[in-house]
Amino acid sequence: MMKAYNNLWVQNKYIKQTAHEWFRKNLLTASQLEAVNANFTSEFYRPGIFVTIGLFCFGLLSCAFFGGFVSIFFIGEGSDATLSLLSLFCAACFTSALEVLIRERKLFHSGVDNALLYAALLSASTPVFLLFESAPAGVYCIVTLLFLIPSVLRYADLFVTTAAFFVLLILVGSTFIGFPLGKALLPFILMIVAAGIYYSVRKNNDIYYLKCQQIVEALSLAVFYVCGNYFVVREGNAMLNDLPVSAEISFSYLFYFLTAAIPAAYIYFGLKKHDRILFVTGLLGIVASVFTYRMYFFELPLSQELTIAGALLIVLAAALISYLKTPRHGISDQPGKRRRFANLEAILVAESLGDLPADPGVKFGGGNFGGGGAGEAY
Amino acid sequence: MTTTEVLNALTSKGIISNKQADTIHSFEADKAFSIHWELRSILYLGILLFTSGLGILIYENIDTIGHQAIIALIAILMVICFWYTYKHRVPFSLDEVHNPNKFVSYTLLIGCMLFLALEGYLQFQYTLFGTKYGAAVLLPTLLFFVTAYRFDHTGVLSMAITGLASWLGLTIAPLSVIAKSDFTDGRLVWSATLLGVLLVAFAWISNLKSWKAHFANTYLLLGGNLAFIATLAGAFTMEPLFVFFLFGITLAVFFILSARRVHSLLFLLMGIVYGYVHVTYLLAKLVGNELVFGLATVYFTFSSIGVILFLLNYKKFLGIKR
Repeated sequence: MMKAYNNLWVQNKYIKQTAHEWFRKNLLTASQLEAVNANFTSEFYRPGIFVTIGLFCFGLLSCAFFGGFVSIFFIGEGSDATLSLLSLFCAACFTSALEVLIRERKLFHSGVDNALLYAALLSASTPVFLLFESAPAGVYCIVTLLFLIPSVLRYADLFVTTAAFFVLLILVGSTFIGFPLGKALLPFILMIVAAGIYYSVRKNNDIYYLKCQQIVEALSLAVFYVCGNYFVVREGNAMLNDLPVSAEISFSYLFYFLTAAIPAAYIYFGLKKHDRILFVTGLLGIVASVFTYRMYFFELPLSQELTIAGALLIVLAAALISYLKTPRHGISDQPGKRRRFANLEAILVAESLGDLPADPGVKFGGGNFGGGGAGEAY
Repeated sequence: MTTTEVLNALTSKGIISNKQADTIHSFEADKAFSIHWELRSILYLGILLFTSGLGILIYENIDTIGHQAIIALIAILMVICFWYTYKHRVPFSLDEVHNPNKFVSYTLLIGCMLFLALEGYLQFQYTLFGTKYGAAVLLPTLLFFVTAYRFDHTGVLSMAITGLASWLGLTIAPLSVIAKSDFTDGRLVWSATLLGVLLVAFAWISNLKSWKAHFANTYLLLGGNLAFIATLAGAFTMEPLFVFFLFGITLAVFFILSARRVHSLLFLLMGIVYGYVHVTYLLAKLVGNELVFGLATVYFTFSSIGVILFLLNYKKFLGIKR
């Protein structure tokens, strides 16, 4: 029993989703879709994003206060041993509640189970930090991974996966930072590790871990880029060697090249292989690269930079939108999946633009040039 | 799980024929990669950066450019935006309208923002409205309401509602309600409560009469947040506590019940969270300071478990079938 959630239902859920996509594209008839829904059932309790958020918050609240409630019964003035015992007891309670709820209420990442899992992991790893005082960072990493990796395999939770990914990187980093050579080669080592993680999770074909796979792909791509980024390497180098001012680094041209080439490669392969994770990571990487370039080589007043960048983005997007009116090179501008956050946009607009001059007592300020975020400082 | 495996699962149950499976398979293999939302995000970001940059740029160079030139430029850009929106309009309807033109919603938004800039400018430089600030705020509000309804734009609608609130001296956007509103002023608490309740009521009417029923959620969201936070602020700082408590609880119940009607569980969540805060605060007040700390762990443990049980069974409680 490695998987906590019903694996068949996870598969059926995916099949139903795919079938629904095909139905929307008229590849399946309505009666076929019905047959799919009847044949591939999944009885997970999935209450929608908002109720999930509510369940999660109240789940955390109840876990936190449950800990306080239980501590009343643990007599002893908060010595490490009693605290450890208390947190282990809480961890056991949370885990059993988690297992029971998943089985009885058919939860599937529905908020409560996430909250219980995090609470259980947190309280299970508390004794480690209480009992191993001032151990090297690597020890903490290894012990935490002993909790995290089984949880990932059993519950396939995104946040735990992310935590495990970073703890693994910290483990690698803290190991190599001890040697002079390791310190010098740290960016390359982390890049190799990130690439290794990326290619090993790409092999996964188990639908149970699909979301975890995607997030690890995105994270390892991001880490691979960040470790090759000129700014990060230069400032990181200065920080690790306690230099007062960040100096030019060795192999600087290699890092210039990587800063520019990695996002470009991500975008190219993302478009070519129809891989959205690669593509979007590449786009974000371009933004980071532009910031890096600007940091060292380019000084214009903020206003001019904003205007130029904005104009370029508008022109670029408009040009691509009209260029892709008919799909070319296997790329199109058709709205693919349904938009999920249409309402969110309205809120964001209200949040960033909608501040009309509010207070009648104040004279109309000049900062109101429709500026998203420009209002206050000017 | 690959496409082939899904198709195998479907064919093995006899839902689709092998031929259809082949068709779907080749469709999946050949289909184009859509970068629709990425391009839209870039466009939005570009508009945001460009307008902010331009605003600052103009502000910095007012002396050299000359006021008339800037005003003329903003006015021309605004007219172009509104003209483009108007030219590509689709007939008005009380239902949701989908405009096939891809740029209209953006030009409308820019046009409205430029209108704000222009008006602010004229007031700043020439004190167009004198000291009648109310009129200065009301004018864009009216324009935004009209354009939001005419061209069916929820973004402009939220700007209009924001304007309406500013007219009363309030800010309404969800986060800045807490950050910027000064709720120590009793008059403001009352006007915020009333405006919030009115907006919520109008959302209800919109839904009932199908006047742009899809706008109801925007009204509910902005109005509801305002009313809830105002009632909380009232309960925390003002007397009589019970009046605000009753207002808050009635609203919370209304939101929980309307979650079913408008098919958005956000409102269920809002009702529960704000209602929970109200009830907790009232109980804490009633119990008194001495006992609160002793009972807090017990109360929070069991009440939050209770809320969880409610949320796990909300469909049963609210009579939702699905």
